[in-house]
Amino acid sequence: MTRVIRSSAVTLATGYVLLAFTALVLFAAPLLYAWQETIKDFRFEILQEDSQRLAHVFDLRGPAGLKAFIDERVGMQIAGERMLLLSDAAGRPLAGNLPAWPQSIPAHAGSYTLPVTLDGRHSMVAMVLATLPGGYRLLVGRDVDRFAPIERRFWYGLAGAVAVLTVAGLIGALLIRRALLARIQSTQQTVAAIMRGDLSHRLEVRSSGDELDTLAQTINRLLEQIEQLVHGIANVSNSIAHDLRTPLAELRSRLEELALTRPPVEETFAEIDAAVADVDGVIRIFNALLRLAEIDAGLRRSNFVETDLGELVAKAVEFYLPAAELKGLSLTLRDAGPTGARCDPVLLAQAINNLIDNSLKFVAPGGHVELEVERLAQGLVAVTVADDGPGIPEGDRPKAAQRFFRGDASRGTPGVGLGLSLVEAIARLHGGSLELADNHPGLIARMIIERGTAAVAGDPGHPRINPDRPRRDAEVTA
Amino acid sequence: MKILVVEDNERMARFVTKGLKEAGHTTDHAENGRDGLFLAVSEPYDVIIMDRMLPGNIDGLTIIDALRKADNHTPILILSALGDVDERIKGLRAGGDDYLAKPFAFGELLARIDVLSRRRRQDATQTALEVGDLRIDLLARKVWRGTRAIQLQPREFQLLEYLVRHAGQVVTRTMLLENVWDYHFDPETNVVDVHISKLRQKIDADEERQLLRTVRNAGYMISAEPPPVT
Repeated sequence: MTRVIRSSAVTLATGYVLLAFTALVLFAAPLLYAWQETIKDFRFEILQEDSQRLAHVFDLRGPAGLKAFIDERVGMQIAGERMLLLSDAAGRPLAGNLPAWPQSIPAHAGSYTLPVTLDGRHSMVAMVLATLPGGYRLLVGRDVDRFAPIERRFWYGLAGAVAVLTVAGLIGALLIRRALLARIQSTQQTVAAIMRGDLSHRLEVRSSGDELDTLAQTINRLLEQIEQLVHGIANVSNSIAHDLRTPLAELRSRLEELALTRPPVEETFAEIDAAVADVDGVIRIFNALLRLAEIDAGLRRSNFVETDLGELVAKAVEFYLPAAELKGLSLTLRDAGPTGARCDPVLLAQAINNLIDNSLKFVAPGGHVELEVERLAQGLVAVTVADDGPGIPEGDRPKAAQRFFRGDASRGTPGVGLGLSLVEAIARLHGGSLELADNHPGLIARMIIERGTAAVAGDPGHPRINPDRPRRDAEVTA
Repeated sequence: MKILVVEDNERMARFVTKGLKEAGHTTDHAENGRDGLFLAVSEPYDVIIMDRMLPGNIDGLTIIDALRKADNHTPILILSALGDVDERIKGLRAGGDDYLAKPFAFGELLARIDVLSRRRRQDATQTALEVGDLRIDLLARKVWRGTRAIQLQPREFQLLEYLVRHAGQVVTRTMLLENVWDYHFDPETNVVDVHISKLRQKIDADEERQLLRTVRNAGYMISAEPPPVT
C-alpha cells in the first residue's frame, strides 16, 4: 500500500515537472528563434548601411579617397570588430584590416554568413559584399561570435529555470506524499477498526472541504447505511426468533396435544380452527417482514407515479370512518385539496392506513383522530395523524418504529408490532421520515415524504406562506 | 365445473383437487409445465389454476403466454409463492386473470374461482342489476328494495354493485379490499366487516328476507335464495 502511494506521488510530481519543462521549452524556443532572426536582420541592415556609406565615399572621392577613408577608420579603431576590405578588380587588397580575400568568400555581391580564418582564429562572420564601379570590390563584415556570450547566458538561464523547477517539483511531491500518506493512514486505521467489527467508526472530515473530504463524507454516509442495515438485520433476526417462535410454539403444542389426547370430533375441529388462525398470524408477520425487506432494499422505487396524496388520505379516512363511528370515535380530515407527490401509491396507502389503524386501536371511545395533509417547504409534504389516546411515553418514542416493538399500551391489542416500522420504512423510501410527538394528551404521528416532481391538477404546488390561513375543517360524514 | 390444476407440489395439488371435488367440481392435475400446456390446449376447461414455478423448462407464465397467443381465453388463476406486488403485476400482465399468493385459505381460492368462471358471462353493457327484490340502476346510480329507495354513499354503492354482480357467489374480504378499495394489503382491524354491516343495515333492515349474509370462514354472499339448511 505504502509503495503504491510513494510511486503514485512521485509519478505525479515527475509528470508535473515534465509538463512544466515542456511548457518552458515551448515558450523559450520561439523566443530564441525570434531573437536570433531579429539580430541577424538588424546586423545585415547595419552592414548594408555601412557598405552604402563607403560606396558613397568612393563615388565622391574615387578609389584613393576611399582607401584613405578606410585606412583612417582602421587606424582609429573605429571599425572595432568590424571587418573592412577594399580590393581592385584583380582581387588585390588595397585597404582594410583583412590581409587578403578569404578563400571561401564568393565572387558575387550579396549578404553571407561564412566561416573566416583571421589571425589564425576561426569565427563566423556576417558580411556584405559590394561591387563598385571600375571592378573594385568592397567587403564589410562583422564577427557573429561576438554575440555568443549573450546566447550562452540565455542557455544558462534556461538551465537554471529547469533546475529550480525540478527541485520545486520534488519538494512538492514529498509534501503531497506526506499529506496523502497521513490521510490515507487515518483512513486505513478507521477501515481496519470497522473490519474488526466496530461499525461506529467514521472517516475524519476536515473543514477544508476538498475532494478528499467530499469522498470521506460520501464514504461516511455509506458506512452509516451499512451500520443501519447490519443493525437492522441483527434486530430482525432477534425479533423473528422471538416473535415467530412464540406463535409457532403455541401451534406446535396445540397440535401435539391434539395428537396425544384425541378429544371428541367437535373439540378437535375447534382446535384445528385455532391452529389455522395461529398459522395465519405467522403468515401475517412473515408478509410484513417481507414487505419491509422489499422496501428497505429500495426495490420499489421503480413503482413511483404521480399521485394525489390528498385523495389517498381522504380515501383512507372514508375507509375507516364506519369502524371509527362504531367505536364511538370522531375521525376527521383537515382537507388541503389536491396535493401531488411522486410516490408508490400502494405503499403510501398502506402507511396511511397503518397510522389510522394504530390510532383507532388505542384511542378510547369518545376520543378524536384527526388527519391533515400539509405542503411543507423544500418540496416536502406531511401526512399527520393526531389522536387523544394514550400516546407513547417519551422514552419509548424513539423505539416505537423499531421492528416488533410493542409499548405497554399495546398489550392485549391485535397486531405484531410492525405497523410503525413499516410506516417509517415507507417514509424513508420516499426520502422522508416518521416523527412521533406528544399531543397533550395523545400521539401525533407525522409522516413526511418528498414530493418529487409532482404536478396534480388543482394543486397550488407551493406551501402557503400565511400560517393563519383559513382552514377548511371538513368533517367527512357517512 | 371442469378445472385444470397445474401444480408440482404433490401435497398442495392433493389439497386443492380434493377441496375442489368436495365443492362439486371435476379436476385434472398436471405436475409439470409440459403436461400442463398439453392438457390446457387439448381439453376445454372452465378455469385453470396455475403454479408459477414448475419443474422442467416451461414455467407457469410461459404456459399462460402460449395459451393467450393461441387465442385460448380460459380464465386462469395464478397460485404462487411469489407474492410481491411486482410479481402479482407480472403475472397479470402475462395474461393471468387473478393472482393468489401461497399460503392461502381454501375458501379464498374457491371464491375466486367462482368469480373467474362467471366473469365471461357478464354483460358489460348492463344498465341494471337485480337480486330478489333489490334493484340497482347503474346509470342513475340508484338502489331500490321493492318500492323503498335506498340512499347509499358512493363507496357503499360500489360495494353493493360488486356483491350483486357476484350474486350467489362467495366474495372474500380480500376480494372486496382489492376490487372496491383497490387496497393490496390486509388492515389489522375488521374494517370490511363494519362496512358490510352498515350496508346490511341499509338494505336488509326490517326486511323479511335477508339478502346479504356472512359465509363463515370465507366472506360474504348476496343471494335471493335462502341459505342452505345445514
